[in-house]
Amino acid sequence: MLKGVKVLELADEKGLYCGKLLAQLGADVIKVERPGGDHTRNIGPFLQDVPHPDKSLFFWFYNTDKRGITLNLETPQGQELFKKLVGSADVLVETCPPGFLEEMSLGYEVLKGSNPGLIMVSITPFGQKGPYHNYKASELVASAMGGQAYICGEKDTFPLNPFGLQAYHLASYFGAVGAIVALLHRNMGGAGQHIDVSVQAAVAVALDHVNVKYFSENLIAKRQGSLHWSRGFRVFPCKDGHILLSMLYQWDILVQMMAQDGMAADLEDGKWQDPRIRMSELPHIIRVVEEWTRTQQTETLMERGQVLRFPWGVVNSPETLSDNPHLAARGFFMEVEHPGLGRAVKYPGSPFPPNDGSSKTARRAPHVGEDNQEVYGELGLSQEEVSDLVSQGVI
Amino acid sequence: MMARGSLEGLRVLDFTWVLAGPYCTRILADYGAEVIKVQSAVTDPSGESNLSGYFNTWNRNKRSVTLNLNRPRAQAVAKRLAALSDVVVENFSPRVMESWGLDYPVLTQANPSLVMMRMSGFGQTGPWRDYVAFGPTIQALAGLTYLTGFPGREPLGMGHSFSDHIAGLAAALAILSALEHRRGTGKGQYIDLSQLEAICPLLGPAFLDMAVNGRAQEPVGNSPMGQVAAPYGVYRCLGDDRWCAISVSSQEEWKAFCRAIGDPPWVKEPTFASPESRVKNALTLDKRVESWTKEHTPEEVMSILQEAGVPAGILQNAEDLIKKDPQLSYRGVYASLFHPQKGATFFDTTPMIFSETPAQLRRAAPLMGEDNEYVLGDILGMSGEEIAQGKRDGDFI
Repeated sequence: MLKGVKVLELADEKGLYCGKLLAQLGADVIKVERPGGDHTRNIGPFLQDVPHPDKSLFFWFYNTDKRGITLNLETPQGQELFKKLVGSADVLVETCPPGFLEEMSLGYEVLKGSNPGLIMVSITPFGQKGPYHNYKASELVASAMGGQAYICGEKDTFPLNPFGLQAYHLASYFGAVGAIVALLHRNMGGAGQHIDVSVQAAVAVALDHVNVKYFSENLIAKRQGSLHWSRGFRVFPCKDGHILLSMLYQWDILVQMMAQDGMAADLEDGKWQDPRIRMSELPHIIRVVEEWTRTQQTETLMERGQVLRFPWGVVNSPETLSDNPHLAARGFFMEVEHPGLGRAVKYPGSPFPPNDGSSKTARRAPHVGEDNQEVYGELGLSQEEVSDLVSQGVI
Repeated sequence: MMARGSLEGLRVLDFTWVLAGPYCTRILADYGAEVIKVQSAVTDPSGESNLSGYFNTWNRNKRSVTLNLNRPRAQAVAKRLAALSDVVVENFSPRVMESWGLDYPVLTQANPSLVMMRMSGFGQTGPWRDYVAFGPTIQALAGLTYLTGFPGREPLGMGHSFSDHIAGLAAALAILSALEHRRGTGKGQYIDLSQLEAICPLLGPAFLDMAVNGRAQEPVGNSPMGQVAAPYGVYRCLGDDRWCAISVSSQEEWKAFCRAIGDPPWVKEPTFASPESRVKNALTLDKRVESWTKEHTPEEVMSILQEAGVPAGILQNAEDLIKKDPQLSYRGVYASLFHPQKGATFFDTTPMIFSETPAQLRRAAPLMGEDNEYVLGDILGMSGEEIAQGKRDGDFI
């Protein structure tokens, strides 16, 4: 869908997914790394657990469908080349600390001089300006400051950070959305612009009930284990794993199902017809439901529930998901060729699969500087010039 | 005078409800698109009230028209509106739009450049297409719930419907990209977005560890993933349920951390000398760190460590975010709009600051059918009498 859109990515963990999303939508994403490769190549897990810049599975996942070049921004020649690259790009995605590019005279004001239509997306922990703009963060710190970690975990113990780079994923999604909003505006006759994305703020506007409860009821949302804030959902143990169940919807049907197995205990009693009693005595319901689920198999129970329109789901692991029949039927997972490995690797697919029947695959992440000749060639540099720049340490 | 919105001139016909769909169209509305929410007291499966705080948060800047889509005349009106729209979005279970005669093949006949987004839990094809899902269901099925927890304990998962936000963002991104495609080619398209497929990739490296190394990843609590870092975690501070996150991932940060907390004797212990040994002795290290943090408020811990260049941040709750955080306040992350029945309504806005075309706050969430005259009259050219008759007949309710 974004065929012909040229994106330059100068990004660490915070913006890798932004570039990946745009690449999955068909943009030509050129990843700019420092000579020798970015530090994100040192993040595990690694192929056969051997740390190596070309064996980071983390790097593999986040950089599919991107072309890779190297550039030393700390040399004057490198800066000139960067300006040339920006000059032919529609979008620049960058995650440098605020002020870092300005110091090298590569800030937005300078870059737009050579490319007024440029859309520059800056993703930083707290934003370009303001009292915390120089504060440092990690995924954990951004997730904490955005309010996401406080509401995860058990009630009586410390907050739990969600698994994976979920704060960075939110920021990356907003960055990609912002880029295309601005691109449409520009392509319909508007100017280019700078978009300042804060990871903390991206988390803070994606908190479901948290802000709503405070504004409407003056309530501070707390963590409560796997029990959903609406108290309508909870994780239950089964014989072979865990399942996510709703407990308060379609009450009669739920009790009937449990009674068929002889495990409804006292829930058939008329007093439970009152939804207020169900809510106030929820711990009892949870105990009875749990005794029942312990006798069940996860997948069978999910099927039984879904047939009756209960929004139930098995608590899957990546292992069980890899063989999921529904995802398989939709061709979600894709095989990505890794010539060096001698075999293709199964990757999670794109949320935006092609709908023209074309095959779903991806190009593996680039090696360090793999596309230097091609990309710098497109800028008009000869093979010799590129080789010279390599030996001078610019590329 | 407010700057022109980036998406001004685009019309979105919005059949969505609850969170994922409305979050998608909220983003489009914030940047200037005209979003018309199709509602009906008769066909609404959620029973959500236009006056709830929840509804107001996700539906500001939108208009509302009431169409009882069980009635043929309301269906015909919806078709005429779709013909005059750039985008149609819906997040029902599959077959609902078909049952109203509003599926893509029908709508595209009258409007070949239409972009139609269908964003159900599992997508429009496959054995689970008719299954029912809310955010918690998707998070469980996608692996997020399993991996968010502590090793060897019951899975906990996230405390909110995170996946609804991601699904909304994914849908907005796909719609915008389809509009860019249409600008270049003149062609609209139909997009089948599965919420499950928007969430699975968020655990990408864990899937690759399975595929390449045959390793089934397990929950790790608050430990860093794929990186050597310690101290790294959430530490108890002074006060009731007050915590600060700290992450030290380089030797420079470790030295800065030690200086910042006043170089107590324990930091010189050989067990904490290298990053590897700190990770190995993380449990002991965490206790030592906490012996310092629990003497301070999280605000103090954050400011002492950040001044020294060490990443640290308060585990902020709703009150911290909305009332105390100076950075979110500086960025205008929270704002209010006047609502004709509720008075001032407050909500979160956007994490993006656009230099040219900033997000707009034009009006609070609509009352049900508040814009019937505008939509049926101004857009479709129906007379006052036709609208009144439709209401009496039960078409526009």
